[in-house]
Amino acid sequence: MIRPFDFSLPNQLNAKEPPERRGIRRDQVRLLVISRATGGLEHARFDVLGKFLRPGDLLVFNSSRTLPAALTACGATGPCIEMRLAQHLPDDSWLALLVCKAGDPFGCGLRVGMHLDFGRDLAAEVLERDERIPRLWKIRFSKTGSELLDSIYRLGQPIRYEYVSAPWDLDYYQTVYAREPGSVEMPSAGRAFTWKLLFALRQQGIDFAHLVLHTGLSSYLDDELDRTHPASEEEYFLSQMAADKIDRARQRAGRVIAVGTTVVRALESIALENGKIKSAHAYTRLQIGSDHELKMVDALLTGLHEPEASHLDLLTAFLPAPRIKAAYSEAIREGYLWHEFGDLNLII
Amino acid sequence: MPRLNGKNILVTGASQGLGRQLALTFAHEGAIGLSLIARHLGPLQKVRDEVGEISKRTNVLAVEADVGKISDIERLVATTLDAFGGRLDVVVNNASTIGSAPMPFLLDYPLEDFQNVMNTNLIGPFLIIKNILPAMVENGGSIINVTSDAGATGYPGWGAYGISKFGLEGLSQTWAAELEETGVRVNWVDPGNMTDMCA
Repeated sequence: MIRPFDFSLPNQLNAKEPPERRGIRRDQVRLLVISRATGGLEHARFDVLGKFLRPGDLLVFNSSRTLPAALTACGATGPCIEMRLAQHLPDDSWLALLVCKAGDPFGCGLRVGMHLDFGRDLAAEVLERDERIPRLWKIRFSKTGSELLDSIYRLGQPIRYEYVSAPWDLDYYQTVYAREPGSVEMPSAGRAFTWKLLFALRQQGIDFAHLVLHTGLSSYLDDELDRTHPASEEEYFLSQMAADKIDRARQRAGRVIAVGTTVVRALESIALENGKIKSAHAYTRLQIGSDHELKMVDALLTGLHEPEASHLDLLTAFLPAPRIKAAYSEAIREGYLWHEFGDLNLII
Repeated sequence: MPRLNGKNILVTGASQGLGRQLALTFAHEGAIGLSLIARHLGPLQKVRDEVGEISKRTNVLAVEADVGKISDIERLVATTLDAFGGRLDVVVNNASTIGSAPMPFLLDYPLEDFQNVMNTNLIGPFLIIKNILPAMVENGGSIINVTSDAGATGYPGWGAYGISKFGLEGLSQTWAAELEETGVRVNWVDPGNMTDMCA
């Protein structure tokens, strides 16, 4: 996929800590609003989101909960390896990124048949290399179901990238409305919502629906591979209740506003599959770009994306690339913050 | 029809006493899912077996966790929501610790012991409610915090425990007020003196 435009992100625009640790509430981050109709920009604070919405609009959230998806295995004689979970597969195995803790991140003899010991009776075996994304390995844990989840929570840490300033606890990587555990990275577009704001929006006549799309990794710690950003396959669930709400919103001419690119991906996948909205549980590899005609989603609340991120392509389904480029240039000039603890962008 | 037909319920302090009795009663009343939380897995598994004798259709999750530890709370919430498909109807914050024994006067209370009591009896319930709420708001639900008359009257020697229960009542009132417009009810119950069956 061709990147819609390029830019370099100044280091000081990496959000290094959660807003609550920068002296503001989580809903006081900045909001860059872009009009789909005119391309006009407006600078606001996130807690006035309601100003840009109308009664009858529907916010669709991804309620997937973030797992502590980074685990460390040190064999008695082998190297210490950090394993970053990427995806839970239907046969109960997992795809995972394996990274050597010392030296070359991929140069410590990673191979099929490796036995990984995480302690506390949890182990895994490396079954094969993934065909599509060669940095990922298929692995099988010694436990499954609730027992495995329990062990992951006992042993794991949230996946953190080098731009964060401290090993923030898992709690900082959750949205307030998170339910089912399964995302390996936080679906961060919704992080700024507080219950107070949600209640206020509800009183304003805004409706809410939830789906679940367990996110995969945003980086494979391999610049070349990240530049090609192959779309990972992600599992999603949409309940009948949520489907009905979307249907009703569209019938009353309310706008369907996706909170996060994951929601766009899930809803547009369902639209492609069924032609209409109904409950679904499936996997998607859908890549959305400028040639994609949006069928279910009218607006998008999202973070600010890195130049190499596939999410940037997705934005071109909402706006022509030059308009996004202009908005991003403005965001850089105005000192907006990027990444999971950063500022937000509403395209409406 | 049983009163709790189809309900998913989480009970802390479920391995003995009131928590165990509640688990058995909930199963009898038709609960479809029970997440039973306690610090020791052995006694909890016995309760799970007892529930199984009452109701074959109840999905029982036994989670070894200390509600006084912040890291355990995220784990117990996540495993519960995973097992119940993200939906929960009732939470009973029953786990409690009495604190130092024999119970010293507040004047003599060791700080660390005081903090441990607050963690289990007050901060734990706060965090459980905070984390579990997303699973209850959409469909409504009921949160029950177990208090004590030591949380209504200050008794000599009941220092940390009584103060934590005062706090739990305040926590319940505040949650109830903040959640007034949702379908989630928050109540606090003082069960009075326990008999041997429940102690």
